Amino acid sequence: MTETVIHVQGLVKDHLSNFLRKRFRALDGLNLTVRKGETYGLLGPNGAGKTTTQKLLLGLLKPTGGTVQVLGYQPGDTRALARIGFLPENPYFYAYLTAYEFLDFFGRLFNLCAAKRKERIAELLKLVSLTEARDRPVRKFSKGMMQRLGVAQALLNDPDLIFLDEPNTGLDPIGRRDIRNIMLALKEQGKTIFFNSHMLPDVRDICDRVGVLHRGKLVGEGEVEAICTSGNYQDLEDYFMDLINTAEEEYRKTGGITPYHIEREGVR
Amino acid sequence: MRSFGAVSAIALNTFRETVRDRVLYAIVFFALVATLAGLVLGTLSVEQDVRILEDLGLFTITAFGGIIAIFIGTNLVFKEIDRRTIFLIFTKPIKRWEFVTGKFLGLALCILVVCFAMGLFLIAIVCWQTLQTADPSVSWTTTLTNTLIPSLIPRLLTSLVLMYVELVLVIALATFFSTFSTPLMSMLFTFGLWICGHMTDSLKALGELSTSPVVKVVTNGLYNALPDLALLTRIRGEALDGGNFPIDLVSGIGAYVLLYTVLLLSFATVIAERREFQ
Repeated sequence: MTETVIHVQGLVKDHLSNFLRKRFRALDGLNLTVRKGETYGLLGPNGAGKTTTQKLLLGLLKPTGGTVQVLGYQPGDTRALARIGFLPENPYFYAYLTAYEFLDFFGRLFNLCAAKRKERIAELLKLVSLTEARDRPVRKFSKGMMQRLGVAQALLNDPDLIFLDEPNTGLDPIGRRDIRNIMLALKEQGKTIFFNSHMLPDVRDICDRVGVLHRGKLVGEGEVEAICTSGNYQDLEDYFMDLINTAEEEYRKTGGITPYHIEREGVR
Repeated sequence: MRSFGAVSAIALNTFRETVRDRVLYAIVFFALVATLAGLVLGTLSVEQDVRILEDLGLFTITAFGGIIAIFIGTNLVFKEIDRRTIFLIFTKPIKRWEFVTGKFLGLALCILVVCFAMGLFLIAIVCWQTLQTADPSVSWTTTLTNTLIPSLIPRLLTSLVLMYVELVLVIALATFFSTFSTPLMSMLFTFGLWICGHMTDSLKALGELSTSPVVKVVTNGLYNALPDLALLTRIRGEALDGGNFPIDLVSGIGAYVLLYTVLLLSFATVIAERREFQ
């Protein structure tokens, strides 16, 4: 049996608004399993809960309910984090550092020795085509270069599990292609990749399995190959739109009232 | 060992961030100009020009060091959250206490370098002024070996060390507030406590004078809770006058500052542990 890398059971996350402390449910009973070596794409419209899910898996947020296990540990456990790479959405990097200093800093956080850091940074700068820019301050980087540098920092520790949050956002076609090629190379190396994206053509090329989130609920999940060859859908976009439209219709029918509202607020 | 690596990495990054900030150099420039103003003020006094230079120089270093500590310190953690670099940090195998400690030490190192540079400048101009005002019949080597090296320089160095100890407490306060408050509020809190810390003696005296038990309890509580910077200032003044300190007083001050700093950083860690990063 293939090893489970991410196991999520009944995950619930409520956010509180800043001023009135009003409760808003961002994730509602999410169940999810990602296996070793798999590339899993979490899809969904803006505000569906994709980034919240990743942050919960990484320990940046604390769950309101449910259980989460990542690489066999609680989210945020340093033993798991030592084997994880993460690229956040629209990352901001320390502008005053050069690309080399930036990667060296994160290499130190992974407790890599000086020789290993030097070797690994050279390898990664080559991988993301930034060798020429190694001594340039990050503030002079273009969006695409930033994203590639972000990918490099996510791979410093040669992670078993890689989280990528919208890695293609804001990139031109060349930048998108570069990121896609890096992801395909990682997939070939057998890395487990969990990523959020809006770019369905990229998802089609990279992912083994996708899940679709709508208003904090997982409304569909399946193998990409099966979805695209079943004959039920023209392509992944068709599958995605069908699930989202059905879920939205269902949501409107209930007037936006979910079991959560009924249980918490007594709405009938 | 792993913790040492993480703390030193964060400290080094914080140090780089602060020393590469041009605002720091602007503040240091004004501090040096203010120190030089002591030369002008000294000419207005009657044979007290060196003492005025020393007093004004030390006050300038403390004030500008404090300004740097407050302005940069109160932004330390907030900036990481605001710019979302915290997502990259806390998804690496580091513990929250390592982050807080690294941030504190990085700024403490930066302030140490700044104070060292400003202190050297002060010692240099005090020495120069002493030589200028010395009896012309006495050679400069005699003034150097009889006055400057055995007395003046050690007095200034002791005062500078005590001043840095005070700034360490200010950095710890700023780091603590920056973990949960906006920079503006943190600045107000830190500056307020820094000023109040210099008035602990007055608070104690107020409590003793008052007949109300409530006032006594409140002033006594504040006296114990606030950092006792009045004590540090008093000792610094004595050091400048050439006073000698028993070893138990020196170790007592060291233990007090260490304990206060550790307590503040522990509270900051607890807050950072509980925080979520949306």
